[in-house]
Amino acid sequence: MKFVCMNCEAFMLFQKVEKPGEGTLGVEFLCPTCNARFSMVTNPGETQMVQALGVKIGGRTTASEPFELTRGTLKDGAECPVPGMTSAAPVTSAMASSGEGGGTCPFSSMVASMGPEASAQASPSASLEWSAEALDRLEKIPEFVRPTVRAEVEEHARKAGESFVTQAMLDRYKNTSGEMGWTADARQRLENIPFFIRPMAKKEIERLTRERGRTEVTVEMMDQAKTAFAKFMGG
Amino acid sequence: MTPSNDLKTILTRLQFPDDAQVLRQIVDQTLQVKIRMGRIKRKILVMSGKGGVGKSMSTVNLALAFARRGERVGVLDVDLNGPCVPKMLGIPGRRFEMTPDGAVPPEGPLGIRVASMDFFLRDHAPVRWNGSMELSPVWLGMLEMNVIREFLADIAWGDLDLLLADLPPGAAADKPPAIAGFLPELDGAVIVTTPSEVTTDVVRKSIVYARDVGIPVIGVLENMSGYHCPQCGHESDLFEGDVEALSADLDVPLLGKIPFDRGLSRSCDTGTPILDSTQPIAKRFDEIAQRIVDSLNFKRIMAERL
Repeated sequence: MKFVCMNCEAFMLFQKVEKPGEGTLGVEFLCPTCNARFSMVTNPGETQMVQALGVKIGGRTTASEPFELTRGTLKDGAECPVPGMTSAAPVTSAMASSGEGGGTCPFSSMVASMGPEASAQASPSASLEWSAEALDRLEKIPEFVRPTVRAEVEEHARKAGESFVTQAMLDRYKNTSGEMGWTADARQRLENIPFFIRPMAKKEIERLTRERGRTEVTVEMMDQAKTAFAKFMGG
Repeated sequence: MTPSNDLKTILTRLQFPDDAQVLRQIVDQTLQVKIRMGRIKRKILVMSGKGGVGKSMSTVNLALAFARRGERVGVLDVDLNGPCVPKMLGIPGRRFEMTPDGAVPPEGPLGIRVASMDFFLRDHAPVRWNGSMELSPVWLGMLEMNVIREFLADIAWGDLDLLLADLPPGAAADKPPAIAGFLPELDGAVIVTTPSEVTTDVVRKSIVYARDVGIPVIGVLENMSGYHCPQCGHESDLFEGDVEALSADLDVPLLGKIPFDRGLSRSCDTGTPILDSTQPIAKRFDEIAQRIVDSLNFKRIMAERL
């Protein structure tokens, strides 16, 4: 959270945190241009919300201890002494500023949304628009597989450069996901794969076969699949 | 001052200063998780959409199976409000050893390292949190997510071959995506179910949900697949559902079936886990552990055996 001095067009700078009363925080800010000061006072609920993040407003003056939040918030918990705790946990702020990490951390979106570049860019996995007829057909598919089918159809549509799913597109999807033939030799080779992951193997090989524009899995396709997996493994 | 300028225009000209250092601390927290988890080769969730299907029992016995293979195993009991992994492993009421390098987890049988909320609780005490927001679901959700973050960031696991995380029940609960969010390199989830039709209906949703939030599903473990008679050893069905159909429908490997076994149940209740790999039930978990490894090595198997 930041405050902007609208007169000076400047972010106000954090100064200090006070505890003006039980369960409340006063966070003081200063405008670096006109020196105007003001304090934001939180109510107990807001104070607890901030504490639940496990952060100290204004930064840490001492190193964090293991399970600081858990032990500090747990009611009537067992004693868990911290003998000789003097040094910090290994994370440094230098690493923090390196831009590493983040991943898909639940905070990432919040962090990103606080940055100045935050804009309403659509995610690449955002849902596409569907025609009413296509949606109607999707609704007829059993509920438990609907999300999977929806995702696959949209993936097909994106690959085809489409942004709107129509009935024709559903037909194309249906044709490409239909039953595929297997030669006896190829089926025999599939037996080399442990039985419980054989269905996964079958699906992967059929996907590869479709990508090659073929309608039957042959020994040649098995060789290509084997080579593709070997390449993936760095072989 | 330019009176016509609105906030949106002003913000485009300003550099965001993190002088309250909130963002930096949040990034530090995330990095701390990354550093800890970087020393663990494989991370697997054990989850289900349904309660009472045997997630904790499966987690514990899978941990034992992997430990019997000579792997260094850790178990993270993410069921904050109903932790039972320590009791099943015979180490209830133990405490973390707090050190400057983090909280050292107690060790159970076969050297399995365990982290659980149980280690913070007094005997039979429920989990209660301090503060006026104690009963606010929004606050509780946020707090629990950060408690889980501390479990991932603050435990000095050391080097592990495998970390198994036992999740609380719930198909659409916030825990699976929270954990997956903290662990982008998560290997996947083992989904526990029983053959009951009611259960498989719910578990089906949780498999779809797991995939939707980006958690790879390693396979399904069918628990209580039948009743194992302690007198004659005969196995009969307890339920009439069909986990094999579920597995085929959703294209998920069926990792194995565990019958309801009074000996196994007693071992969990009394905290005397079955360690002997010649026991039939231990053999089943050993087979499931091997299948989990094979599922994770799917691409290698395809490259080598096809």
